[in-house]
Amino acid sequence: MPDADRQRERGTAGARGSEASRKADHAGIGRLTDELLPALIAKLGTTQLGELEVREGEWQVRLRRPFGTAPGQGRRAGDKPSRSQPGHEGHGHGRAAPEGTRGSKAGAAGAARSGADPTNGTGAGDERQKSRTIATSPAVGIFTPGSRAASGTRIRAGDSLGSVNVLGVPQDVLAPVDGIVGSTLVEAGTAVEYGQELIRIELAVPAAEAL
Amino acid sequence: MFRRILIANRGEIALRILRACRTLGVEAVVAYSEADRDSLPAQLADEAICIGPPDARRSYLSAPAVISAALVTGCDAIHPGYGFLSEDETFAEVVRAHDLTFIGPPPEVLDRFASKEGTRRLLGGFGLPTIPGSPMINDDQHALDEADRIGYPVLIKPSAGGGGKGMRMVRTSRELESAIKICRSEAKSAFGDDSLYLEKWLDDNRHVEVQVAVDRYGAGVHLGERDCSVQRRHQKILEESPTPALTSEARASLAETAIRAVVAAGYENIGTLEFLVDGSGNAFFIEINCRIQVEHPVTEILTGIDLVALQIRIAAGEPLGLRQSDVVLRGHAIEFRINAEDPAHDFRPGAGVIEQYHAPGGPGIRMDSHLYPGYEVPPYYDSLLGKLIVWGPDRETAIARSRSALEELLIDGVTTNVDIHRALLENETFLEGRMTTNLLDRVGSAAFLAAAAAGAR
Repeated sequence: MPDADRQRERGTAGARGSEASRKADHAGIGRLTDELLPALIAKLGTTQLGELEVREGEWQVRLRRPFGTAPGQGRRAGDKPSRSQPGHEGHGHGRAAPEGTRGSKAGAAGAARSGADPTNGTGAGDERQKSRTIATSPAVGIFTPGSRAASGTRIRAGDSLGSVNVLGVPQDVLAPVDGIVGSTLVEAGTAVEYGQELIRIELAVPAAEAL
Repeated sequence: MFRRILIANRGEIALRILRACRTLGVEAVVAYSEADRDSLPAQLADEAICIGPPDARRSYLSAPAVISAALVTGCDAIHPGYGFLSEDETFAEVVRAHDLTFIGPPPEVLDRFASKEGTRRLLGGFGLPTIPGSPMINDDQHALDEADRIGYPVLIKPSAGGGGKGMRMVRTSRELESAIKICRSEAKSAFGDDSLYLEKWLDDNRHVEVQVAVDRYGAGVHLGERDCSVQRRHQKILEESPTPALTSEARASLAETAIRAVVAAGYENIGTLEFLVDGSGNAFFIEINCRIQVEHPVTEILTGIDLVALQIRIAAGEPLGLRQSDVVLRGHAIEFRINAEDPAHDFRPGAGVIEQYHAPGGPGIRMDSHLYPGYEVPPYYDSLLGKLIVWGPDRETAIARSRSALEELLIDGVTTNVDIHRALLENETFLEGRMTTNLLDRVGSAAFLAAAAAGAR
């Protein structure tokens, strides 16, 4: 639910912003990247889990396996980047940087750089299969595809492809990557669960490279 | 009766509720987080639905996720289990606003019993002996004045929540002044509410609680009491019934006073009234828990009554169907909470894959657990792996069976607290039925384990 995260983070960011809190933020970022992240990456590598999330005070760090390497099922395709969202100067909390939600390559590379590809070997095969990926449901509710969910539509990471209605509140289904909309796996008006695969996205490989 | 129930919980209690649903012939949907996809309740349910990521705030504690899951799966009621959303009156109200039934007390009853301090006054007015205490604390000076009036030592308690958070015992005014700030901030961050009150602290107290069941029509019974004096840092680890702390006359009188007071105060559904019992056998009411409790099987095994099924039936509006004379307490029962904790390392919680699992059996043995070989204990939630409940016609037999059952219990892959239970069964204070809530902390768990090991040789 990157979008919801962003909204929440923006909400808390508004309440902050003093010099002191900025300093605390920088100290926090330093500590997170130096101490917490390597430990979390190691931990994720030894478990069967697809995702780890840790909160500490106002900080939140979430790690996910690169798409397809999580055991069980392909989930949360869009959340490939295994990285924290510690935030930017002056904003307290990280509103997710464009490059944070964009680009599977950056995310996968990030995980590889830190030597944390947890799946020992399947990662390479996975790289080859990356000609397509899937947008998943951000919540439990009723799915409605949006105008950009039509097959063949060229989309960018972070585009809203539709929504899932949770007790009257629509939550965006976000495109995990740049690409072209393929088939929609679930009919409009269907009840979906959190993480359910909704819309297939083809990655035109050369195009993706170009982007 | 309901047609389909959403179970908004996990672990052993989700499994327990699922079993009650089966018995009642009601379909059960299990709502699970991504971390519990392979859990036993999710596998055994009629339907399972993923409601969010492992972080409980976005899954098991998310009212919109839980209610939306109930609606899209066609449920007409939600069972919250214990913890999570089980005592959240706002959640109960929102559930009702969506034409679903919250399995527990109705929202207005939850609301009436929401404040611990208010509940103490309410039930005190209906004849329950309550512990001397203060109203809500306004400021530090007010706290100091109230503590002087009550007499030290006093316990600082948050009005919301439980589990020992925001709670401190202080013996002097100076301790009170420094502790109250800590309690305020702990309570604020744990429950979002920093209102505190003071309670007289009884050294060497015992924790005894009375189980009650009251239907919508004002009919109520008590189902005896449980002794939960074996605690570590305000966390119960072993419960038994009947309590060795009271005579049978005192037990009956306490239970009768309790049920009279809650019926008079308009309580509804099952509930537990907690009391502190001092060295002379005087019981003081401290709080009521408006939900099914972890230790409910102790009562089930003594009475033969399925408390979860009873809770569901009451929530569905059925009459109690029980008179007090129908509730017969037979023999003695002990429950051991089996946690993924390492007693050798300050009870550090653990996670990992269960390599081997074998539950003990034999006469009077019940194991409530969601474990299976190959199951991965996730690191996100409480460390309860299951509960071993042992029954015997008397306490001695129950203890003998417990030793044998704990010996037989096999859990490989994660470190458990089974050693502390084995040590308890060798401890003279426990064997004589004289455990107090501070004993483990006073002796120190390490010293306690070492003493038991030395004694066993």
